[in-house]
Amino acid sequence: MNNFIDKVFAHSTKIIALVVLLLVAWIFVVLFEHSLESIKAFGFSFIVDTKWAPNLEKFGAFPAIYGSVISTFLAMIMAVPVSIGIAIFLSEIAHVKLKTPAGISIELLAAIPSVIYGMWGLFYFVPIIRDIFGGIGISMLTAGIVLSIMILPFMAAVTRDAMNTTPDILKESAYALGGTKWDVVKDIIIPYAKAGIIGSFILALGRAIGETMAVTFVMGNVHKISADLTQPATSIPVTLANEFAEADSTLYYSSLFELSLLLLVISFSIISIAKFYFLRRKRIA
Amino acid sequence: MTHTQKRILINNIVMVLSTLSAIIGICFLLWILSVLVANGLDAISATIFMQEGAPPGNINGGLKHALIGQLIIVSYATLFGVPFGILAGTYLSEYGQKSKLAEIIRDISDIMMSAPSIVIGAFVYAIVVAPMGHFSGWAGSIALTIIMIPIILRTTDDMLQLVPSTLREAAFALGAPKYKVIIQVVYRGAKAGILTGILLGVARVAGETAPLLFTSFNNNFLNTNMSEPMASLTVTIYNYATSPYEDWQKLGWAAAFILSMFILTLNILGRLFLLKKKGK
Amino acid sequence: MATIVEINEQKALEVKNFEFTYAGADAPSIKKLTMPIARHNITALIGPSGCGKTTLLRSFNRMHDLYPGNKYNGEILFKDRNILIPKEDLIKLRIQIGMIFQKPTAFPMSIFDNVAYGMRLQGIKNKTELSGRVEKALKDAAIWNEVKDRLKHDASGLSGGQQQRLCIARAVAVEPEVLLFDEPTSALDPISTAGIEELIVELRERVSIIIVTHNMQQAARVSDYTGFMYLGELVELGRTEELFVTPKERLTEEYITGKFG
Repeated sequence: MNNFIDKVFAHSTKIIALVVLLLVAWIFVVLFEHSLESIKAFGFSFIVDTKWAPNLEKFGAFPAIYGSVISTFLAMIMAVPVSIGIAIFLSEIAHVKLKTPAGISIELLAAIPSVIYGMWGLFYFVPIIRDIFGGIGISMLTAGIVLSIMILPFMAAVTRDAMNTTPDILKESAYALGGTKWDVVKDIIIPYAKAGIIGSFILALGRAIGETMAVTFVMGNVHKISADLTQPATSIPVTLANEFAEADSTLYYSSLFELSLLLLVISFSIISIAKFYFLRRKRIA
Repeated sequence: MTHTQKRILINNIVMVLSTLSAIIGICFLLWILSVLVANGLDAISATIFMQEGAPPGNINGGLKHALIGQLIIVSYATLFGVPFGILAGTYLSEYGQKSKLAEIIRDISDIMMSAPSIVIGAFVYAIVVAPMGHFSGWAGSIALTIIMIPIILRTTDDMLQLVPSTLREAAFALGAPKYKVIIQVVYRGAKAGILTGILLGVARVAGETAPLLFTSFNNNFLNTNMSEPMASLTVTIYNYATSPYEDWQKLGWAAAFILSMFILTLNILGRLFLLKKKGK
Repeated sequence: MATIVEINEQKALEVKNFEFTYAGADAPSIKKLTMPIARHNITALIGPSGCGKTTLLRSFNRMHDLYPGNKYNGEILFKDRNILIPKEDLIKLRIQIGMIFQKPTAFPMSIFDNVAYGMRLQGIKNKTELSGRVEKALKDAAIWNEVKDRLKHDASGLSGGQQQRLCIARAVAVEPEVLLFDEPTSALDPISTAGIEELIVELRERVSIIIVTHNMQQAARVSDYTGFMYLGELVELGRTEELFVTPKERLTEEYITGKFG
């Protein structure tokens, strides 16, 4: 009897674990199937075409791709230095009594849903951008800044974790040779934790590019490419959030599914690079 | 200036810059929190828990529909996602261990944890909403379940692996079958960790908006029928905040405040469980 | 009061009424300790775990300052100056008093850069000078022949014993006056240990050495003077051959004969 239950239990856990794999595969298949019509209609030009005109049944994803890339890039160039600064502060400068509470607050802030960041951006940050640059304040730049603030806690927390893997004795050795804190950070901690730090940044990049709510509020969903960062723009997730529930033709839907597939492939690749190349899971010996 | 003096000067500059960036980061985040608390407390009142949505201009509008909808959608997601994730995690830690299959499932789950949630919404739209012909609470719950599974799976896997193998061996030595060892010894040893994983998983999906936008959609009235479009706090925040009506925006802040407090509480509780376990 | 042998040589360091209290602790970990350290000699510090020997060692280069809240009292004289004063220049102090740790601490860089690190911190950029001094330091640390063909390789490829000698090379490259060894062989196999011990004895020609060790045989093999510490106090400091053969204090005798510890 026990033997029988044992087998049943073992097999059911295995089947359920396999379902996870199948589910992920299924997601790719379903998105691909639903993209077929659009792929057939536009082919490769879907990615490079700049015109997105639902009323003309004309769908070019380039403005959305461009917006995703630029807003994420803006977010990264702002968030990377600040999160390194916060991580250095948390791991090397802050007093012991401040380290834990400050660290926990950062982690809790990382748990606040992105829709809150987006709402704050809309009501408090958009007016500031409007005052400084004119226009309506809803823009690529606003999206980049709000996105950078949203990923900041996550980035700072994982960067700090990576830095903290440096053994104390290694840092002490550098101090014992007369190094300053900065010497120790730049010569010991950063080289030692390099893979982990870069991996954390790429992981944050992967998350930022798929982030929807923080940017949907403040980007404008305008399918236009403009060199002026203070103009409204769009990104793949912003387009999906604004248009999915309202699409009115099968080709329109199919184009949105192709956008979803594109986004999934992009972020899946970025996260895989972070994971397999930089953040190889340490095997428990 | 000697080289050492220069080094000390650079050090001081960098230390000041680091501290400044920490201060700037924390100021921004405090700004967001204070805005949330101030607007939230200002907007919150007993009526919003009693009343359903109302057209703009009607001061009697509330969030009851969104609160209950959110509760139902997240509860079903938890109901499906937790057992699924725990059993799959059990396979990884207890049966698959270091096998190729187990490693692949771990890697894929890790990636899925960071994958864009709006894509999950598109997937569920294709497999649930389109065939049914309309948005529904079920679709929302299924989307959140898919997001929750990898989180529960990986924490269960990690937490079970922390249970010392001597404990398992001791139980096997008494002649217990493997499933009993797992249920009676391993699960018990990892209880606090698994519970933390569940709390963090629930907190994570409770804040998800994007995958609900075109699955459970929204509903301005109270609906407990899972086959119909259902309101959620998150989508309500989005719709109300982007509306031009001041009373709706106010309700949006109230919803944002309630949601954030709920999620922060779950996170803090989860940490306390782990701390308590470490204290033992 | 501790029994302290008369030291006729010049002194490298003089500890006077030194007290050390860790952050948050009620009682000091080192109590009213007075101890001379002879110049160009090897002084070993022995004693049971928790006796304060490592704490004392880490006071000589103010390593405790890396963690806030630790408190020093009394004096440690180095070149007739008390190095415990708050405005002591720790960077300069640590260049003059080097340290070798329990485990090899090769930095994540090449073998050459590891040894050059301390010199570069001091602003030495001249390539010929650097490579000359790196070569000399590696020779001093008896590892030159093993690494001369792979100076550009990452230091993590070296064995534990080689890494520890690399760390010694890195420490001697900046020509310190004192070298502190904190159980330098505790992570090494017996053969590497013998090599490091031999090296320490040779280094005495040029630097004053203080070594903390768990291993009494090691203290007996390498040191000229041995200090026995117990519960944060110095019990006895004597010439090594005398202390191990005819200890003056009953506690010392009990410890070296294995009655406790």
